[in-house]
Amino acid sequence: MTLFDRVFGGNDAVYGLTEAAIDGAIAQYGEDAAVSFPDTAYSLPCYYAVTGSKVTNLKELKAALGVVKTLMTREKRLNDAFMSGVATALCAEFIEVLKYMNGAKPYEEPCYGHLADAIIRELGVPLVTGDIPGVAVILGSAPSTEEAVELVKSYQAQGCLVTLVGGVIDQCVEAGLNMGNAVRIVPLGKDVTAVIHVVSVALRAALIFGNVTPGDAGALMKYTMDRVPAFVNAFKPLDDVIVACGAGAIALGFPVVTNETENIFRVPKSLIVQEDVSKFNATSIEARDIKIKVTKIDIPVSFASAFEGEIIRRGDMQVEFDGSRVDCFELVEAKDASEVEDHKIEVIGPDFDEFEVGSKHSIGYVVEVAGKSMQADFEPVFERKFHNYLNCIEGVMHTGQRDMIRIRVSKNAFDAGFRAKHIGEVLYARIKNEFDAVVDKCQVKVITDPELCTKMRHETAIPLFDKRDDRLATLTDESVDVYYSCIMCQAFSPSHVCVVTPERLGLCGAVSWLDAKATNELDPQGPCQVITKEKPIDERIGEYEDVNEAVKLYSQGALEEVSLYSIMEKPMTSCGCFECICGIEPFSNGVVITNREYAGMTPLGMTFSELASMTGGGVQTPGFMGHGKHFISSKKFMKAEGGIERIVWMPKELKESVAERLNETAKELYGIDNFTDMIGDETIAEDPETLLAFLTEKGHPALGMDPMM
Amino acid sequence: MPFTGKSGKFNAAIRTVEIGTGDKAVKLGGENVLPFYTFDAPIENAPKIGVLITDMGLENEVAGIKDYYAGATTFAEIAKKAEEMPGADFVVLRFEGADPNGENRSVEDCVAIAKEVGDAITAPLVIEGCKNVEKDAELFSKVAEALQGKNVLILSAREENYKAVAAAAGLAYGQKVGAESAVDINLAKQLNVLIGQLGVDQANVVMNVGSAAAGYGFEYVVSTMDRVKAAALAQGDVQLQMPIMTPVADEAWNVKEAMASEADMPEWGSQEERGIDMEVETAAAVLASGSNAVILKHPTSVATISKLIKALV
Amino acid sequence: MALKGLDIFKLTPKTNCKECGSPTCMAFAMKVAQGAVELSKCPHMSEEALATLSEATAPPMKTIKVGTGEAEYTLGGETVLCRHEKTFVSKPRYAVSICSADEDIDAKLEVAKKVDYDRIGERMHVEMLYLSYCADKGVDAYVELVKKAADCGKTLVLDCTDVEAAKAALAVCKDAKPVLDGADASNYEAMSAVATEAGVVLGVRGADINELYDTTAALEKLGNKNLVLNVGTASVKDAFATTVQIRRAALKDQNRTFGYPSIVNVGALAAGDPTMQAALVSLFTVKYGSIIVMEGMDYAQALPLYGLRQNVFTDPQKPMKVEPGIYPLNGGDENSVCLTTVDFALTYFVVSGELERSGVPCNLIINDAGGLSVLTAWAAGKLSSTSVSKFIQENVEPKVKCRKLIIPGKVAVLKGDIEAKLPGWEVIVAPNEAVQLVKFLKDLQANGEI
Repeated sequence: MTLFDRVFGGNDAVYGLTEAAIDGAIAQYGEDAAVSFPDTAYSLPCYYAVTGSKVTNLKELKAALGVVKTLMTREKRLNDAFMSGVATALCAEFIEVLKYMNGAKPYEEPCYGHLADAIIRELGVPLVTGDIPGVAVILGSAPSTEEAVELVKSYQAQGCLVTLVGGVIDQCVEAGLNMGNAVRIVPLGKDVTAVIHVVSVALRAALIFGNVTPGDAGALMKYTMDRVPAFVNAFKPLDDVIVACGAGAIALGFPVVTNETENIFRVPKSLIVQEDVSKFNATSIEARDIKIKVTKIDIPVSFASAFEGEIIRRGDMQVEFDGSRVDCFELVEAKDASEVEDHKIEVIGPDFDEFEVGSKHSIGYVVEVAGKSMQADFEPVFERKFHNYLNCIEGVMHTGQRDMIRIRVSKNAFDAGFRAKHIGEVLYARIKNEFDAVVDKCQVKVITDPELCTKMRHETAIPLFDKRDDRLATLTDESVDVYYSCIMCQAFSPSHVCVVTPERLGLCGAVSWLDAKATNELDPQGPCQVITKEKPIDERIGEYEDVNEAVKLYSQGALEEVSLYSIMEKPMTSCGCFECICGIEPFSNGVVITNREYAGMTPLGMTFSELASMTGGGVQTPGFMGHGKHFISSKKFMKAEGGIERIVWMPKELKESVAERLNETAKELYGIDNFTDMIGDETIAEDPETLLAFLTEKGHPALGMDPMM
Repeated sequence: MPFTGKSGKFNAAIRTVEIGTGDKAVKLGGENVLPFYTFDAPIENAPKIGVLITDMGLENEVAGIKDYYAGATTFAEIAKKAEEMPGADFVVLRFEGADPNGENRSVEDCVAIAKEVGDAITAPLVIEGCKNVEKDAELFSKVAEALQGKNVLILSAREENYKAVAAAAGLAYGQKVGAESAVDINLAKQLNVLIGQLGVDQANVVMNVGSAAAGYGFEYVVSTMDRVKAAALAQGDVQLQMPIMTPVADEAWNVKEAMASEADMPEWGSQEERGIDMEVETAAAVLASGSNAVILKHPTSVATISKLIKALV
Repeated sequence: MALKGLDIFKLTPKTNCKECGSPTCMAFAMKVAQGAVELSKCPHMSEEALATLSEATAPPMKTIKVGTGEAEYTLGGETVLCRHEKTFVSKPRYAVSICSADEDIDAKLEVAKKVDYDRIGERMHVEMLYLSYCADKGVDAYVELVKKAADCGKTLVLDCTDVEAAKAALAVCKDAKPVLDGADASNYEAMSAVATEAGVVLGVRGADINELYDTTAALEKLGNKNLVLNVGTASVKDAFATTVQIRRAALKDQNRTFGYPSIVNVGALAAGDPTMQAALVSLFTVKYGSIIVMEGMDYAQALPLYGLRQNVFTDPQKPMKVEPGIYPLNGGDENSVCLTTVDFALTYFVVSGELERSGVPCNLIINDAGGLSVLTAWAAGKLSSTSVSKFIQENVEPKVKCRKLIIPGKVAVLKGDIEAKLPGWEVIVAPNEAVQLVKFLKDLQANGEI
């Protein structure tokens, strides 16, 4: 027997029952007898949602059954199975509505049966907001009462709405479980057809919250698939009727998890066999892509930004981990979903109790995350937050990063019960909370075993850090497909838009291409948006049609064209927060760069603040441009005008801080050794004439280049 | 040779949003020119004025407000008087007392007050919360439910609670949603986009782009509104074409100029006059910058701003 | 569109002679492009260059100076319609109107002087007097009024369309550079001659915007470009329409005939209704009034108005700052707790407002943080443990005995460092938002911590 046979068979059986029930009712009450569910404006909600037609009496119900029949095609194609599933569900609704004939009250405590519109509106809000992260439909009897209760409670603890159909209701009653809408455990009814009442919730939610037009079955199924996070847990044995109902659930986008192994057909992500009932929860949550919110951090001390600046002195210290003396490291690693068990916190090695008061030890912690949108490029972005997370713990001080960290735990925190696993709890909770857009699952290993720390530091952590650095170094504007806009500072500089590329970070110096990319993924409506670069206009100055369009859009039309690599033609605008500013120095045919920290005069005859007032505010000022420090050594630095060879002057401190990388670039591009020695500074010249004399003496290449203007 | 000015009429327009029901329903927005630029094109819906009342009653109000409401003791009576105030277009009920750090009035009690007020008046009703995002989320959702069919405006959903507020008001109970952001065009736009993604029709959204009393960072209000209107009209940015409603009374009566007693500042003169002028001047400035509605509380302010609007439109 | 600095630089002599006052020709060119320096400061520009540049660099709206000495004010010179596009440069100036027919002239002069206070380093007062000529009372009465008003230290605006009366009035006050607001379609030639001879700015009016335009054009033809435009008192709607349209024509459509500051008489538009005048003065402060005339000015009207003006006319790139110092609040003394925040005016106002509301006696300590907000100042290194501790040691420790310091929640990270640098002090971290301060302080007080 195939799955098709089972679905079709179940469907036919239910259809037969429905037809008999309707005919029986007509015989008893007559064709014109009214049929309706109480307290709903949506007629027979499921039938109305799928077809757009309302049913008010038995005659219409009979006609509706004819419509249902047309769904019951018997080709052995997936769609036929799904539609038969939907037909089965509609039949169930007909059977259920007949129970309400003549004002009957077919359900009694604890069962709810049909749910009123008011309850849907009330439940719909937390469903839309994600406060109810999932809707569990539990069907049948669990192998034991304990397992039934454990499963229900596990969903309840995650904030899910749990609906019960069949034997599981009695199991919960037997265990004395507190049930009801208020505690989000809703027993529907003991007949399998009662499952329609939760389907009715999903479909009415689509009509009310999704503005889906009744009868637009495509939009309906898309809504339930995308927005109603429901799933089914069906206990064995599964008869054909349940299998047919399951096909209907799958059609709506709700996966079915079952412990049935006999005569069942696995469908990836849709019909899942999980023999271990204790794993139903994890399997279901993963199959339906549900993200469970972490609302509180389970640690014995406070967690707040008010503790960020707390300093723990030697005398107050219970234990210290010091990466400058022993092997320590902190790490985020993206893993495959199968390798990560959500909220697993593992401590490898001795706990704080085993350390002498005031002693120094190794520590390493690895946060392993998995998620469909997770990318290795986000690892360092998460990692940089560790400093902030750990410092917010009362009684914990953290400094440094990567394998150069130092952590102190205070005696007070230790006395309050703070232990190694709590570091894991904090990292887990914060990562899940802040990066929920990309992290589905997260587990933490806290390693205090000194040998393992040494091994992992050298064999895992350092190679990974090196790999990341290499990746950064090889990222070029040409090697990526998209750039990012950044408008974080539009509050100050309304028309300014930064175009962030791998070789040109934001001019504030704080937003690299990777940062912008992560910001975009984590906050898709936020300040960093994808800019394509598929339509080049002029490769020399780095002008693209798509970049221009984006700049125009994000500057609200204030700026129409921008080049990435020129300061003379359509240069990028500046906000007010640039680290450095460069300006054309006409006498030496080059550019002068000065930085925020340098208050003195430049050979341009203007100080940093004078230059800033002329350049800032999101206005294009040819010949002048704000930029980040790191951009100075970039190969793309005013590439259109000849690149870094044009730099003729920088404040001494700035020059020294960029010397190494700038010299490297100069060597690579032009074969010049110790290029910075040719660049003037305030100790050499603060006026153009003296500077020119110096440059001539040094033979600075800018003097021989084409005029800039 | 006469002066020939170029018209500043735009192709795009601010969306029209209607609040309330029946004869007294008001339309906000709809214009395709900058504020009060009737010389460019007619402005169909003049800016509107809401009268603020709160769940704290009248005890802490100045004499002129107490006098106006003299004889009104229940919320229904106060609301009735508010809608009758000359110049009033709608009534605003603010649940100041719901603040968990203050009176901490229960949601049930708030709902009862909202129903009492909603049943007493025929003018449109706007609901303000207590600014505590969690409490407001719960409060707004219950109030929206209780006032179904009245087409009230819930002011407002913020970044922290927009899902709950917008889903309840805009989806579940068919009310209008206010989107509140803090004087930044990008935040305003982002919130509008997010509310739209929930499925709320943009025709049901009104913005509060943030406010300040005159002298208290008001330049940000001016620039935000200038930019929002420019984006909405000149750039045709549909995500910013919602009409703007600005609660002026909350800010204006809470600054030192309006609160300092006459004993402390004898040279400043009447405290009530100071409050009125702070309210009036702030309101005139936000209207000039682009608000389609302002919320005021003193009868003199309401009369004056009403006169100003009539004189300009 | 104004010329870019580089375009101007190309036409300079490129000698860096420094005679213009700038160290290099490039610096000079950039300043000219910004409108900060006039092209004529360079003595070595060629005729050809001057001709090319003066047209292009001429501002779309003239800068008009009125008054003398401390009462000298600059009007106009705006380049943008919205402040966020660059900045507004010339604040509107407020005038109180007095007529020669008024019975209580002395009392009115006193009223005009009453409002006078300081707000963030700026003196707030009525800068001008708008003196209306009443023909029935005759020229002598007007001259008397002008004489009395001239002693007030305020710039005078003579609202007078009678040529003889204007002459007589100017005879007694022209050295103080008043404005003669009196030219209309019927008298402009004579009035222009009077104003030119006295060396004062001439105000122009018209029955409607077209007549105003024609009269202004005619005056320009006579060579008088030292003008302000009175937008009229026919109705609020007309006055607003005219005010906006002349500014927009000048800045957006490069219509130089309308490139002058405006006079708006809201006192006449809403005579006898001071609250309506408050609404109107606010409207015209936001939208393009240059001299705004009211019937009077009391503190109730002034406090929001001057605050509004200070806000709207602040340079977006130069934040308003408060003076560093110790500000005792709610009767704070040497034993009261200290709180610190940045000198950004908005932060100061918000924080001090909340502190006042708490009623808890305290000392608000303001240190120079570059006029930036808390997080921005911290990120820029202008609010650091060093800056805080140094200021406290030098300025606070000698004056205040209390050794508890509350720091903004957003810079909780500074707590440890400040404690390390300030022995004997206890540092308490405040909440992140100012609105939470009231409860925070009350709780601290209730717990006996302060």
